Amino acid sequence: MSETVIIQNVYKKYKMYKSPKEKLLDVILPGGYGEDFYALQDISFTANQGDVIGLVGMNGSGKSTLSNILGGVIPPTSGTVKTVGQTSIIAISSGLNNQLTGRENIELKCLMLGFNKKEIQEMEAKIIEFADVGKFIDQPVKKYSSGMRSRLGFAISVTVNPDILIVDEALSVGDQVFGQKSKNKMFEFKEKGKTIFFVSHSMGQVKEFCDKAIWLEYGEIKDYGPVIEVLPEYENFLKQHKAMTNEEQKKFREEIMKKQSGINVKPKISDNF
Amino acid sequence: MKSLFTIVREQISSFYLILRLSAFEMKSAHTNNYLGRLWEILNPIIQLSIYWLVFGIGVRGGQKIQMENGTQVPFFIWMVTGMILWFFVNPAISHSSKSIYSRIQLISKMSFPMSAIPSFVIMANFYTHLMLVAVVMFFLQFTDFKLSVYYLQLPYFMLATLIFLLALSLITSTLSTIVRDVQQVVQSVLRMMLYLTPLLWHTDKLVLNGVNLTFLLKLNPLYYLVEGYRASLLGTTWYILEYAQYTLYFWVLILFMLLLGSTLHLQFRNRFVDFL
Repeated sequence: MSETVIIQNVYKKYKMYKSPKEKLLDVILPGGYGEDFYALQDISFTANQGDVIGLVGMNGSGKSTLSNILGGVIPPTSGTVKTVGQTSIIAISSGLNNQLTGRENIELKCLMLGFNKKEIQEMEAKIIEFADVGKFIDQPVKKYSSGMRSRLGFAISVTVNPDILIVDEALSVGDQVFGQKSKNKMFEFKEKGKTIFFVSHSMGQVKEFCDKAIWLEYGEIKDYGPVIEVLPEYENFLKQHKAMTNEEQKKFREEIMKKQSGINVKPKISDNF
Repeated sequence: MKSLFTIVREQISSFYLILRLSAFEMKSAHTNNYLGRLWEILNPIIQLSIYWLVFGIGVRGGQKIQMENGTQVPFFIWMVTGMILWFFVNPAISHSSKSIYSRIQLISKMSFPMSAIPSFVIMANFYTHLMLVAVVMFFLQFTDFKLSVYYLQLPYFMLATLIFLLALSLITSTLSTIVRDVQQVVQSVLRMMLYLTPLLWHTDKLVLNGVNLTFLLKLNPLYYLVEGYRASLLGTTWYILEYAQYTLYFWVLILFMLLLGSTLHLQFRNRFVDFL
């Protein structure tokens, strides 16, 4: 099996500003200004063709940041990201233009993803069939129900036939009929040997789909391995965390904040820009 | 220089993209109005009639304007031939400078040719402009200023306007993404420009203590474009050659703006998402 995703020493740093003045100083001063916040620290892993990897972790552990970096939406602050083939992110907020019709949105979105005229024409029919919104396809998207909207977004993302697919909490959209349809699509992708990243808080879904799991904690990889090894540990941790008193939870959060402000970051990392 | 070539290459290779996206842009702008695109003609007509009332009748008392070659031009016609460019440039500048930060969420790939964003916004406004130019040309045939050989200059001035807008929007769209206040600066400068460009008043007699200050106004590239449009539509001069030095100044300035804009754009475009 060939490697499709190679992530090496990826950091993502954000700046926290107390006032707009600090933001301006950060732009002007060559050294930057403001308090650092590391959403991701020293992330390294590789994924192979056919891997279905679950990304688990508590809120704010960097799952979405990591999936955006994998999908090529945001650049890492430092480190290298290598992906082989086309990547596609499926997220709940699908970024459709409300004023335009479903059909126009399909063309718009595909254009944005870099497809040419002919490819778009071929994909359009498939997307319409999968989205299953009936006559509404020629209505402006603002008139859609929220289910229809996410179905259209989902249909576009899966029909562009990506080699690497990142599913961010999106399988819970729509009714059960569509849920089953999208699950089948996922299994189809899995069989075709595509690499899939699956972000979810639902342990059941992760167990059902994934072979491997990455456990993120305060922006670092706590564990990476087969689902059967990682998930029990993570569930254990969750149980412990729930059992903590409010005081202990507060202390835990403070520790996280300290860690994410970059105390442990060795000065060797120099910014890419 | 290298960054300029990168931008130019990107513009050419994403030409189809720019055309399609600008069509969608125009479409989504008017879906909520019953009169739809008719507003793109109604709005200018309303504004023109007010300006004509205030400046043409109120301030000038219906006096005609004398062009350099001696032709007497009624104020309304003089104003329309200049304002037609303003109705294009004004929205194009203000929309294109906020184009990147207001659309970046829609762009789901870093590999998307970002420099195409201001261009498609400009193009969306350009279609309206073409329509307005056609209307004005038709209207002029019923006046003393009929179709002439000087119309041949018009495509040149349209192209010059487009390149000017691209150069400017590369600068402003980048800066306003980083510091949002830039958009406010752009808006107020635009408001000033309405009066600092020969649109509503004839600027040839701006004399203070015996010094003619018109040359200061001429530093503004819009001055060149507006006067060029006017010369083409009224058929007064071959503006490009008559004012060869001014033409040279215009293009040197545009080249400088393009260089600055493309350098800035490429410098920051990987970080645009982080500035949200």
